[in-house]
Amino acid sequence: MPSRSPFAPLLLVGIALSTIPPSRAVDAAAVPSLGLPAARFVAASEAETALGRALFFDRRLSFNGTMSCSMCHVPEQGFASTASRTALGIEGRSLPRNAPTLLNVGWLTRLFHDGRENSLANQAWAPLLHPLEMANPSAGYVLEKIAATPEYGPLFVAAYGDATPSMSRVGTALEAFERSLVAAGSRFDRWFYGAQADALTPQEQAGFRLFTGKARCSSCHLVGKGGTLFTDERYHATGASLRDPDSGAHPVRLAADTATEITDVELAAFVSPTATDLGRFEITLAPEDRFAFRTPGLRNVERTAPYMHDGSLPTLEAVVGFYNAGGGRVPNKSVLIGPLELTAREQAELALFLRTLTSPAVETLPAQVRRTDP
Amino acid sequence: MNTLTRRVATAGLLALLLIATVRTATADETCNSPYTARLIKGQEQFLHVWVLGVKGMGDGSDKLVTVDSDPKSKDYGKVIHTVSVGGRGEAHHMGFTDDRRYLWAGRLDDNKIFVFDVGSDPAKPALVRTIDNFESSSGYVGPHTFYATPGRVMIQGLSNSKDHGGVTGIAVYSNAGEFVAKYDMPTGKSAIGTGDGYGYDIGINPAKNVMLTSSFTGWTNYMMDLGTLIKDPEAMKNFGSTMALWDFKAMKPTQVFEVPGAPLEIRWNLAGGADWAITATALTSKLWLIKQDKDGKWQAKAVADIGDPSKIPLPVDISITADGKGLWVNTFMDGKTRYFDMTNPESPKQTYEIVSGKQVNMVSQSWDGKRVYLTSSLLANWDKKGADDEQFLRAYDWDGKQLTRKFELDFYALKLGRAHHMKFSAKPAQVAAADRAR
Ligand code: HEC
Ligand code: HEC
Repeated sequence: MPSRSPFAPLLLVGIALSTIPPSRAVDAAAVPSLGLPAARFVAASEAETALGRALFFDRRLSFNGTMSCSMCHVPEQGFASTASRTALGIEGRSLPRNAPTLLNVGWLTRLFHDGRENSLANQAWAPLLHPLEMANPSAGYVLEKIAATPEYGPLFVAAYGDATPSMSRVGTALEAFERSLVAAGSRFDRWFYGAQADALTPQEQAGFRLFTGKARCSSCHLVGKGGTLFTDERYHATGASLRDPDSGAHPVRLAADTATEITDVELAAFVSPTATDLGRFEITLAPEDRFAFRTPGLRNVERTAPYMHDGSLPTLEAVVGFYNAGGGRVPNKSVLIGPLELTAREQAELALFLRTLTSPAVETLPAQVRRTDP
Repeated sequence: MNTLTRRVATAGLLALLLIATVRTATADETCNSPYTARLIKGQEQFLHVWVLGVKGMGDGSDKLVTVDSDPKSKDYGKVIHTVSVGGRGEAHHMGFTDDRRYLWAGRLDDNKIFVFDVGSDPAKPALVRTIDNFESSSGYVGPHTFYATPGRVMIQGLSNSKDHGGVTGIAVYSNAGEFVAKYDMPTGKSAIGTGDGYGYDIGINPAKNVMLTSSFTGWTNYMMDLGTLIKDPEAMKNFGSTMALWDFKAMKPTQVFEVPGAPLEIRWNLAGGADWAITATALTSKLWLIKQDKDGKWQAKAVADIGDPSKIPLPVDISITADGKGLWVNTFMDGKTRYFDMTNPESPKQTYEIVSGKQVNMVSQSWDGKRVYLTSSLLANWDKKGADDEQFLRAYDWDGKQLTRKFELDFYALKLGRAHHMKFSAKPAQVAAADRAR
């Protein structure tokens, strides 16, 4: 009941601010793109974005009506899946990889943990047809289903002039929607790009100096002058993997204050063999690409645990600890990864810095995109 | 505000209907709602088993399998009828309408609910309706418990279609299959306690006008491969740890109990005004008693361990005897069927156990407690793999000291699938004759 909310006037101010062009904005927080490089794309029409939004949330677009893009890229979970290490697809099939955030995905030129795709419009068809994800039997099957769903007619007309769905229209509409998921303007951005000196605490600033200095993070998670995605979009073997040869026993949480341990032997009856994930190598077959994964961006990383391609690290502290120890055991580890000898205090500062990359849009976007009326 | 008026109207309607006679206020014949008519106090003639299809086996589809369970019949211990419903959607539990003419069977994945006519000819159940608006009407996912109330079926959800997590609620349908209302599980901190929004089972005590609900986990976890789940610390955080007490007529939660480790099936002992309920926590392996204290305030407390909790035996289905003095408890991991003496509900004592399978989930007993039936499947992706994936229906006689195997059906050899929930039926004439004889 917004009319009775004591915050109603404040909300209105917030909306008004966001319509002021960046140059004249009094409060940099209202600029969701502050800190992002200039976009390489022209913003899509509202009609195309609205169609993409409808497709994104539509569970009917999976074979059995249970999966939509939003079931794995959950708006309230930073458009990722935070409730499991790796995502869960149709009929509960475990995907081998963690579902990445879609926030700021419009800025990426290589998609997936192994960079095998290069456009959002093409990418959209992968989950629709993947037998572990939405499992539709064919592209034609999906298009016929959309054509037979009355709500879509007017949306296609508004976006493309006629009501006929096609592979490219479905792809570009989803791309249009995904490009609208802009979430920068974090406290870091206000400090670094907005020259707001007090936007970061001294510890967080120290964390940033470590990130670009002693801890060498920015050699892969690049920080640019004109804006940044925190990724070089290249492939590196860090050694992050669930399949640690030493692990024979697993701690299991049973309730808030109760835990036990279970061994691989006790679990034997439940475990199906899992293949090693070779990362970029699976696309190039180049030996140097074995176990290499794309450097992910780090914006909003606070909201998208667990981390790495397989969700093997539960917290940002665990990630920092992993790098500090020199990464994981892997044959062709990147030369940029090695023991860092950070003090406990430095590790804490680094984790604090990573938490300054959260955009205010992380809170506001879910409600915006879930609203059903245009 | 439309929903609000509808809710008030529904609550009123429920209250009115409640005045309709409650046929029995004692415990059930394997745990039916107390509003269920025509309890079978004699010999159950048929056993309906809700079976999960397995890809590549037979038609690969979920089906209702009817087994002849009358020792006097020539087909005793045989499958006499099957109805395939098409596809796999995680077939799970079933429940009768209050008049016992229809059996509602749900699927936890695609949320379809199949209504079978078991009143016309219980030997040949017929699919008469498929309800496919559970999710679109309520926003809930995973129709789990089907609980008869006068003219209505209450359906407890396990999850929701927003994030496949565990925040869910109860949807109420008319016996004719129309969506009537929805009630969210309590969430957040308030005067009644701290709700976590999870749901699992429903148990009503009509005399006290209270309804108990329990809590499990969302789609992401119950659909996940169990071996993967146990090793996933993010996912293991997402299990319910509460039970809620509701004012049944008003359909309002009045108290939230902290019951850590996923409390599942709820069994009331209503015999002779006992008025207590028992549940088992799946992860922490304990029996919890819900009972009024001296001041009439409802309390929940842990009263016994089930096996060695540190080994995660995973207690699953439980079945209370009609007199409330005994409780069957199946533990899935070690495949054990255990009997607890409940004479003192504050201190249940395990008095018997057998390994009844490589894995075991559901347990149903006859009204007189002399016959016990077990099935093997828990959830498609939680069942064991390879040689440990036995799928059976096993029927036993119970003489108070030991279980004696009467017959067994291998559901894989029969190309049927994974055997899950069981419900009994009998021809109306047989029920009437048995009632007269008593
Ligand atoms: C079953 C869960 C699931 C569903 C459903 C799903 N995704 Fe994904 N998505 C993933 C996973 C897991 C990955 C990473 C896969 C990989 O790297 O191989 C991913 C990757 C992506 C990426 C690449 C992001 C990046 O940083 O490279 C995009 C874009 C994307 N998905 C969009 C979509 C769209 C659009 C839909 C609906 C048409 C969708 N997804 C449906 C799980 C899912
Ligand atoms: C050699 C290049 C490189 C360096 C140096 C590096 N990273 Fe990474 N980072 C990666 C790659 C590649 C991944 C993805 C690994 C995977 O998916 O298994 C990654 C993943 C991460 C993630 C997880 C993001 C997510 O969404 O899962 C975080 C957080 C992170 N790095 C922070 C850091 C920090 C902090 C440092 C400095 C201590 C650092 N990185 C140094 C390449 C690097």
